[in-house]
Amino acid sequence: MGNASDTKEEKVLRRALILIIAVGIGLVMPHVLSPFYLMILSEALIMSIFALSFNLLFGYMGQLSFGQAAFYGLGGYAVAMLITKAHFNFWLSLLAGVLVAAIAGLIVGYFCVRLRGIYFAILTLAFGQLLFVIVYKWHDFTGGDDGIQGVFPPGILTSPKVYYYLIFLAFLGTTYLLWRIVNSPFGYVLKAMRDNPERTEFLGINISRYQLFAFVISAALSGLAGALWAPFYRSVAPFYLMWVKSGEPVMATILGGANTFLGPVVGTFVMTFVHAYVLGFTYFWPVIMGCFILLVIFFLPGGILGFALEKFSTSGRENSGYGRGRQGSSGDKKSD
Amino acid sequence: MSGRKVKHVLLVAVLTGLTVAGFSGSSMAQEPIKLGAIYCFAGPCHMYSESAIKGIKIAVEEVNAAGGILGRKLELIVRDTEMKVDVGAREVKDLILREKVHFLEGPCSSGVALALQVVHSEYKVLRITTMANTEAQVVDKFTPYVVQIVPNTYMEAIAATRYLHKRYPKAKKFCTIAPDYEFGRREEAAFAEEIKRLVPDAEIVYEAWPKPGEKDFTSFITAIMAKKPDAVHSSLFGGDLVAFTKQAAPYGFFQKIPFIALYDLPVLLALGEDAPEGVMGFGRGCFFMDPNPKMMAFAEKYRQLHGTYPDSWAVQAYDGVYLLKAAIEKAKSISTEEVIKAMEGLTLDSLRGKFTIRPLDHMGTVPCYQGVIAKDPKYPFKIWKDLSRIPGEEVIRSEESVREIWKKTGVVR
Amino acid sequence: MSLDILFNQFMSGIARGALLFLVASGLSLTFGVLRVLNFAHGSLYMLGGFLCYTIWGHLLLPLFGFYIATILSALIMAASGLVIELFVLRRLYHRGWPEQLLATYALILIITDLVKWRWGGEFLSVPRPKPFTGAVFLFDFPFPAYNLFVIGLGVALAVFLWWLVYRTHLGDIIRAAAHDREMVAALGIPIPWLFTWIFVLGAFIAGLSGAVAAPFGAVALGMDIEIIVECFAVVVIGGMGSLPGTLLGSFIVGQVYSFGIMYKPELALAFIFMVMAVVLIIRPWGIFGRPER
Repeated sequence: MGNASDTKEEKVLRRALILIIAVGIGLVMPHVLSPFYLMILSEALIMSIFALSFNLLFGYMGQLSFGQAAFYGLGGYAVAMLITKAHFNFWLSLLAGVLVAAIAGLIVGYFCVRLRGIYFAILTLAFGQLLFVIVYKWHDFTGGDDGIQGVFPPGILTSPKVYYYLIFLAFLGTTYLLWRIVNSPFGYVLKAMRDNPERTEFLGINISRYQLFAFVISAALSGLAGALWAPFYRSVAPFYLMWVKSGEPVMATILGGANTFLGPVVGTFVMTFVHAYVLGFTYFWPVIMGCFILLVIFFLPGGILGFALEKFSTSGRENSGYGRGRQGSSGDKKSD
Repeated sequence: MSGRKVKHVLLVAVLTGLTVAGFSGSSMAQEPIKLGAIYCFAGPCHMYSESAIKGIKIAVEEVNAAGGILGRKLELIVRDTEMKVDVGAREVKDLILREKVHFLEGPCSSGVALALQVVHSEYKVLRITTMANTEAQVVDKFTPYVVQIVPNTYMEAIAATRYLHKRYPKAKKFCTIAPDYEFGRREEAAFAEEIKRLVPDAEIVYEAWPKPGEKDFTSFITAIMAKKPDAVHSSLFGGDLVAFTKQAAPYGFFQKIPFIALYDLPVLLALGEDAPEGVMGFGRGCFFMDPNPKMMAFAEKYRQLHGTYPDSWAVQAYDGVYLLKAAIEKAKSISTEEVIKAMEGLTLDSLRGKFTIRPLDHMGTVPCYQGVIAKDPKYPFKIWKDLSRIPGEEVIRSEESVREIWKKTGVVR
Repeated sequence: MSLDILFNQFMSGIARGALLFLVASGLSLTFGVLRVLNFAHGSLYMLGGFLCYTIWGHLLLPLFGFYIATILSALIMAASGLVIELFVLRRLYHRGWPEQLLATYALILIITDLVKWRWGGEFLSVPRPKPFTGAVFLFDFPFPAYNLFVIGLGVALAVFLWWLVYRTHLGDIIRAAAHDREMVAALGIPIPWLFTWIFVLGAFIAGLSGAVAAPFGAVALGMDIEIIVECFAVVVIGGMGSLPGTLLGSFIVGQVYSFGIMYKPELALAFIFMVMAVVLIIRPWGIFGRPER
């Protein structure tokens, strides 16, 4: 398919073609799919936004955040509360959801970015759980364990087909935004921090500040995912903030491939569709998922997409780093 | 792999069910009536949901063997909410959009129920709730597409309080211990309201709020005993109640303090010899709570099929199917609006005796049961004696009270 | 609040801390040497509890049945640990820690369904074994005898681990490997086998603590998720990979919870996460941990 002798123009042309086809398919879906599968597709797109936001920190910055669900949940709760209690405008509520998540990301991130590796991961988990407990217990304000119901989008958006377009638009926007970010100078600094933090510091880069910025962006986009989810299913619940929920983008990303830009999307789609399909005839879904993850970890080290890209094109990975540059840090306990 | 095994078992079960249905009675060339059972097969709810499905299956087989409903077969489709709100919302949409069910039954978790409610009401599909019992389903967040035949948190607590007061009329100082979430809070609020009505100078001197799934109750136990109450009311249930009972026993808790809690069949089975005799229990209708002929026949059938006795979940789920049958036959149609109209005011002669669906809020006047734990030579586990059955009409929230709440929550009816 | 009530809450906290230490010590040991944070440790604990229920049910020995069942459960879990280490973890040592973490997370899913399939969703009850069925009187207040047994077991395990790590040759190797893995390998010590044995020991301890925890309350699905977060708290506060740290962390978490319940029960859970966050912010490697990862 692709080979190194492709000119740059051919590569760009090929990518543009794939993009146009993908967008075209996406636009046509509501008229082709049954309502049930349209619902699954909508869900997969929202969760892809969630996974992509996670991977900004993981694949590109080298930090594993196990508390993204808190931002996702806060985004959802902000929208739910504003719509049901304050009767806010829908669009402003969405924006508020993103903002609330971003602010939470700023506060939590401020403390987390001083840490590396496993400590970063556990602190994000601790903060995530703290936020979960607060939402769960504060039943006067958040409805507690009942959650909030009756979150309706306005007018024509109550139609699943129309709402799908909103989701699809948000997905495209997020993808574009993240693509620009990881290919910008800022993005290169992030990758440098992931591959070799010490050297990056010697270059005079304030690692904590860059990481905090990325953390806030990631939180904001997770919040966007949650904000889109709440009106779609008409409710939110404290469970959305639990660490178990935080595990979903992690699994999806590793499944799809953290060292590719669209890996998280592939992983999410696979997970969502297989989950929906399997639940139709058994409730022993976790064991299937667990075995699936193990198989991918063992035999497809770059994830599904990473593996596919390596097999089918020698121009290779979008960014080499995860599988390769990391090997230095896994055995070596001094860095990271 | 275990997933495949279950798939095979389910497949065989469905095929058997369909075959049995096919061999019975008159021609059922028409489309079957589809009932979606959406329950929670995770965590503590897994066990209850399994019982409910067993109860429903027996009812469905009986109905189909007797000719179905309006000459049509009744078909059961089961879905799992994994006790998660988002999965539940999606699965109910699956049932409605892909499987095209006509009616729903379930779920287990109150939180999931409230989320489901918004979704299936939008699609105008009726759900009979037989397990999740928060009052919010029919009062605070009322929608005409829900009918409740499990005593709600208000009814259950009021009934239990009256029983407690009848046995210990002199008690004035109380403590409570309940799981700190919606269900526990509502039941204790109802307890407080009723006990103060019965005993004007009653005082609740300590409220213990362990988290649901709490493993270690010792600090709560010592705190309660330090207050030396006259009686303790609790809405702990399931695994929590089992743990609490085991941990409290060495302290001599049950000898010193009158105690009432949800000691239903699963808890008594788990506790076995450790079940504290002389302690009061309240529940929703397992076989020993209401040993009428219909119930005992069902219990025997259940026992032959499954080797155990039916708990309240199986009983109520079974009643749900028969309620649906009665309403459809009265309406002579499966159109949701007609069935709802038929159900309002309908009286069902169920396993738990007769009860009526109140037209105002679709709350069934279902009975609440209480008793005292005691040994019984017939069974390898302890059951209740001094049985009390309080009919739903006596404890259901008054219509004025419901309307008052509706003014606050914005329900218009 | 009179003194004897405070003392009772304190003792409850000690009992809870002892159980936490039993569970968390295995996690800490595994992390200290293998540098793997085993998410599935809680699942092994849960499986130990279920096994104890079943084995004791089959043994029908009123006096020693529980203890035999406990040892057997622990041994079976040790064997499971062997299988897990050989077939799952070994392949991942040369990969990054995220894959290892995710693999253990996948194990949680698998073990949960295994438990669901074998034992159903029921909550099961293991009665307290003789002679610990009653209560002892401390300061005129009854204290369950079984709690004393757990405390005693916790102390015994602490002593055993201390002896193992600080007084035996194996312990020297363990401490050296925790400090500098490559050097130890260069000295000719077969690192893979060391890892296997440590993981097996950790699994044994997990199974043992699960069986011991069973008579406390109900054995049910969800035990794993609950305990693992508290274990993280213990290990974070005390210091990952440090034995005295785990002891101290267990004590702190036990007391925070016990007194939290007394004064502000709704927030008892939040307190633990707050302490965890504070420790991570001020001193990420915990009270007794070492600054390097």
